[in-house]
Amino acid sequence: MTDPTTDMRPLIAEAPEPLARIGDRRVSRAAFLADVQALAAQLPPARAAFNLCQDRYHFAVAFAAILLRGQTNLLPPNRGRTTLAEIAGQYPDAIALVDGPDAEIAIPVLRVAARGEAGEAMGPVPAIPGEQTAVLAFSSGSTGTPTAHARSWTALHAVTAQALEALDLAGHPGPTLVGTVPPQHMYGLESTVLYALLGHTTLLAGRPFYPEDVRTALADSAPAVLVTTPFHLKACLRAGLEWPSPTRILCATAPLSPDTAARAERVFGCPLDEIYGCTEAGAIATRRTTRESAWTTYPGVEIHPGETGRAWVRGPQHPEPVPLPDHIEVQDTRLFRMEGRLADQLNIAGKRASLADLNRRLNAIPGVLDGVFIPPDPESDTHGVTRLAALVVAPKRSEAEIQAALADCMDPLFLPRPLVRVDHLPRSATGKLPRQVLLDLLAHHGQCA
Amino acid sequence: MASQTAFEQEVAQLIVDSLNLEDVTAGEIEPEDALFRDGLGLDSIDALELALAISRAYGVQIRSDDENNRQIFASLRALSAHIEANRAAS
Repeated sequence: MTDPTTDMRPLIAEAPEPLARIGDRRVSRAAFLADVQALAAQLPPARAAFNLCQDRYHFAVAFAAILLRGQTNLLPPNRGRTTLAEIAGQYPDAIALVDGPDAEIAIPVLRVAARGEAGEAMGPVPAIPGEQTAVLAFSSGSTGTPTAHARSWTALHAVTAQALEALDLAGHPGPTLVGTVPPQHMYGLESTVLYALLGHTTLLAGRPFYPEDVRTALADSAPAVLVTTPFHLKACLRAGLEWPSPTRILCATAPLSPDTAARAERVFGCPLDEIYGCTEAGAIATRRTTRESAWTTYPGVEIHPGETGRAWVRGPQHPEPVPLPDHIEVQDTRLFRMEGRLADQLNIAGKRASLADLNRRLNAIPGVLDGVFIPPDPESDTHGVTRLAALVVAPKRSEAEIQAALADCMDPLFLPRPLVRVDHLPRSATGKLPRQVLLDLLAHHGQCA
Repeated sequence: MASQTAFEQEVAQLIVDSLNLEDVTAGEIEPEDALFRDGLGLDSIDALELALAISRAYGVQIRSDDENNRQIFASLRALSAHIEANRAAS
């Protein structure tokens, strides 16, 4: 048995770099700790708390305060009412830490408004038990309720150290992380919060969204690392702006084509590294897309072909081997190629979902007699984002009612467009729904509308 | 239904074209109705796509730290007014 006193890990790294930038103001690590201690003192006793803060500094203060109080950060995959209620059902004593609108369900909230102006904490950096569950990240499982993926504080220390080494971000002075990804997403948590907490980098509190926001943030935060997604990167490339050069770009959530990566390196004038990861395993590998198509795992992380065709991964951060939700060709224990997603997995603008889960949720709506989501054609790579469509048999429900019920339990990205109501689904004798028949039916309704 | 001004018609067409709205025509967009979630049911991806189209067509850059960002996208009328005002100012 591990002696808990021997595995204590610091809450933050001690470094001269500020922990955060709020606008053009820098927040020192000691000032951050003062905010964390003040917030932790307000947290009621519980096992866990929702961290729904949108501002990255608020999120980081809430994250650390929850840890300091011996609790777990609950990171829901979306803010749908049904989704939050399902998680809250498992953690009835959890409150929600928020900085924008209240939580979508009726649970107590604690507002986070810290701005790094509460003075500076004295004394040593607090330590957290390594085995404490730091976060529960939820993915939409095929089983029904959201599946929880636990990360201990030791595991988060491990993956952060691996990433900083693999990405050569461990040196001084550390850059500022300009992130377009939400901190509740595992990639966002790791790359825009933990690199700052446990490394020498500085997080930018804001979350630039439009290309002009990103341009301004990069110009104001030099030296900067842009932490983004293919979806946002392509939008920036299409915006036709003059870009200040970050020191590098990190990109994850869906694979980038070598052409787009090359264009990004040219337009931004810096190297681009992609990170491979998933909610189940966290980040595990990286590649410089303009130079290599294979992924190299983080130091200490090994990948193996599975017996059932599903590769699995294991590093010091994984108590058990973790099967990956993609088709993987393992080249050696630290090198692999990603060949595509498993049949049931969807990826819309970087968000993953299980098609079976979406269909189950559609058919669980009262008044929906039958219904099916139709994934976009994977070959179509028109600009912008292609959406799911849905055919629904629901004589007594309107399209708006069905959309509203879906919005309660899934990310808006998965809401069908169009949602077409039909008299019945064209099931074959075996109950199957051939894709072409569904597409024909959809096209037919498009013409009639 | 309230009638669209000539410029609102132009912006409505831009919305329909840039977002590939198959089941809505430009003329059907109510000038005062919400564009997002409750009206046309648009989301953040649409906002980004629309911002790109607006910058290409009118040279107006949308920013999320604009105090009135929510208002800009509140309706076809509000969006058209924002574009017109900023196009005129530049």
